[in-house]
Amino acid sequence: MTPHPDQALSDWLLASADDEMVLAHRDSEWTGHAPILEEDIAFANLALDEMGHASLWFGALAELRGEDRAEYTDRLVFFRSAQEFRNIQMVELPRGDWAFSMVRQYLFDEAELLRLARLAHSQSEPIAQIAVKVQKEEIYHVRHTHAWIRRLGLGTEESRQRCQAALDELWPFAQQLFSTEEGAKVLVRDGIVPDPTEVRLAWEGVVGKNLTESGLMAPTAHEGVPLRRDEHTPHLTSLLAEMQSVARTEPSAVW
Amino acid sequence: MSDTQWPRFEVFKQDSHADRHAGVGSVHAPDGEMALLIARDVFVRRPDCVSLWVAPAQRISSFTVQQLASAAPPLRGSHGRGPESFEVFKKVHHKGVHTHVGQVTAETPFDALRAACQDFAEPPAHVWWLVPSASLVRSEPADSDSFFEPALHKPFRDQAFYRIQTLLRRLKKAGLAQKDGE
Repeated sequence: MTPHPDQALSDWLLASADDEMVLAHRDSEWTGHAPILEEDIAFANLALDEMGHASLWFGALAELRGEDRAEYTDRLVFFRSAQEFRNIQMVELPRGDWAFSMVRQYLFDEAELLRLARLAHSQSEPIAQIAVKVQKEEIYHVRHTHAWIRRLGLGTEESRQRCQAALDELWPFAQQLFSTEEGAKVLVRDGIVPDPTEVRLAWEGVVGKNLTESGLMAPTAHEGVPLRRDEHTPHLTSLLAEMQSVARTEPSAVW
Repeated sequence: MSDTQWPRFEVFKQDSHADRHAGVGSVHAPDGEMALLIARDVFVRRPDCVSLWVAPAQRISSFTVQQLASAAPPLRGSHGRGPESFEVFKKVHHKGVHTHVGQVTAETPFDALRAACQDFAEPPAHVWWLVPSASLVRSEPADSDSFFEPALHKPFRDQAFYRIQTLLRRLKKAGLAQKDGE
């Protein structure tokens, strides 16, 4: 049965928001721990940007469901259990070493940028507006993370090996970036969101080229971890325990 | 043990097209491109920037008025590479920052200094910085949208956004916070 377009859009917005939110939290874990002070500030900035993107998607979702933006966003972020989150597993994996976090962010950013360029022409006006806004920031993210991938890949033998290892581990998970639930097909049909297969092809082209130029190899195995946005690794539970602890200690607190 | 610290880059920020590039601080980075990216994150958290330059600290020739007044002129000699362009930065107060004043063409940093003293005599400089133009990495006008524009939409980076004072007043009124000095 084809779901109602509003339900499909609602699911899509929640998935997009959760991807950004969970990744933002993982990135924020580097605050105070990045390899150099300047990059500590830069990556914390990037984490905040991703949180900002999440907030825009949560806001659009609140509008669609007739809820208050701020209150609804807090409720979704701080008072849902792991089973209720709809992010892909790629973004919930522990932060690993610096190479792992950089590779994850880079693979995510390239996909996001390609998706945003297409969403900027979405038939849905609110989505198009968000995409245009977020796109500007994402251009900078890709530049930053791509610069890191080049330097890690072409740096020392150790940095190259760590980068390649991260790539090998993340590659199957990265395929989740382009999976579509049955419901989203109606959104693709109506020109509201882009066709993930087309985005994936574009992504493979640009990522493959950049990795090769950075002395790295894009793994060839295409079998991704099958996407179930309602299935999570145990890592999400511990992530949420930390992320939600303050809000849950004093649920009535006003920010 | 070798030094694992990355080289230092001085960062110059232009607040508006009516302003000159002025020194805001430094960053450590493996190279100029990375320094520019990092400088954007460290120094452009508020939306008052239209252009950024970074210069490797080791390529900056610095001359103080005291050095110039002393008998032995510093850094004489030629690299024999032919004339090249130098960016001239000048600090006019001991508490001030290095501000871009223009360019000169010269064979050596010291020749560049001599030209700068002539071309940019007023107001008198406290410290001169001469940097080979080619060693600077600069943001491009096309970078503006992704480098500087997003900061416009981030009021939460501004202290005033949090209205701490208002909140404190309200708490005090409710007897939930101690008054100042108690």
